[in-house]
Amino acid sequence: MAHGIAKTVRFFAIVTALLVLLGVLLASSMPDGLERIAETLGFAGRAEHGAAAWSPFAGYEAAFVESSWLAQVAAGALGVALLWGLGALLGTTLKKRGEG
Amino acid sequence: MKIVLSWERTRLMHIPDGFLTPPVWAALDAGAIPAVGYFLRRTQENFEQSRVPLLGVLGAFVFAAQMINFPIWTGTSGHLVGGALLALTLGPSAAVVVMTAILVVQALVFQDGGLLALGANVVNMAIIGVWAGYLPAKWLGRRAGSRRVAAFVGGWLSLMAGALFASIELWASQVAPAGALFASMLGIHALTGLAEGAITAASLAAIERLNPGFVYAGLGNPPRKASQIETGDPLARQAAAGE
Repeated sequence: MAHGIAKTVRFFAIVTALLVLLGVLLASSMPDGLERIAETLGFAGRAEHGAAAWSPFAGYEAAFVESSWLAQVAAGALGVALLWGLGALLGTTLKKRGEG
Repeated sequence: MKIVLSWERTRLMHIPDGFLTPPVWAALDAGAIPAVGYFLRRTQENFEQSRVPLLGVLGAFVFAAQMINFPIWTGTSGHLVGGALLALTLGPSAAVVVMTAILVVQALVFQDGGLLALGANVVNMAIIGVWAGYLPAKWLGRRAGSRRVAAFVGGWLSLMAGALFASIELWASQVAPAGALFASMLGIHALTGLAEGAITAASLAAIERLNPGFVYAGLGNPPRKASQIETGDPLARQAAAGE
């Protein structure tokens, strides 16, 4: 790994860990823009939550963990691991180009 | 100070199933699949090997950042979407693929965003959001002085363009009167976009300090020396590849 890339990777890895561990404690529980508008304009009730409701991590909270903070940290850590893995997987599918 | 624990109820960050009518979500699903396939092939052909470690860490970072809502208005919150940030660090094609992966994981594992509405969310945030975030830097960002402005504008525009497309989809699904829908969607996202722009510019400034000349390598900068193309300089190579 090139030196500069290693530093950039480390920087974002640390920030990501802080977001997952501490950010969830400080996050606003207010509805976000779309949710707010759906409530105000009266179409929030149309939302259907059937398809992925089976997931034990639905709503970014691990259903099997009692502590709310830990439940969110577990969900966040799973998402981070999945995305990191998918990114690495994508990296393995790149075509090798001319050696320079 | 009261520490707010969020996600006490099912969150609705992205468009859920039920908001869009079948013709709307079906058309967007049908359009999104070949579009993402095209950008995946472009990524596989052009992505610079030395940047591969960024694919995972930036996807993970954007996922984590999207979880954290911050207050933007009385009773309303916003969160980073990250289209411009991914576009300006990975190039737009890889950014489309990584953002799509984030949206798929969110829909399948975390029940955020509908499965039928996945195409709509991919079009709004992974395709429109990424390219709207990329173009200002492509046009304005070649000189160092204008790069931060371009990153900020890209972040803001990325959210606005995504919100505009979401508004069109919701309007086509007749969920609410056009005037109120467009005004509120664009109004709220104009505000959230300021934070998106600021976070995008700050993140890119951090990368530029850690690895000078790296962030904007894909933005059409001419190679500093022709020999850098052969020696594998990522800046020169990506510029030469037009990626």
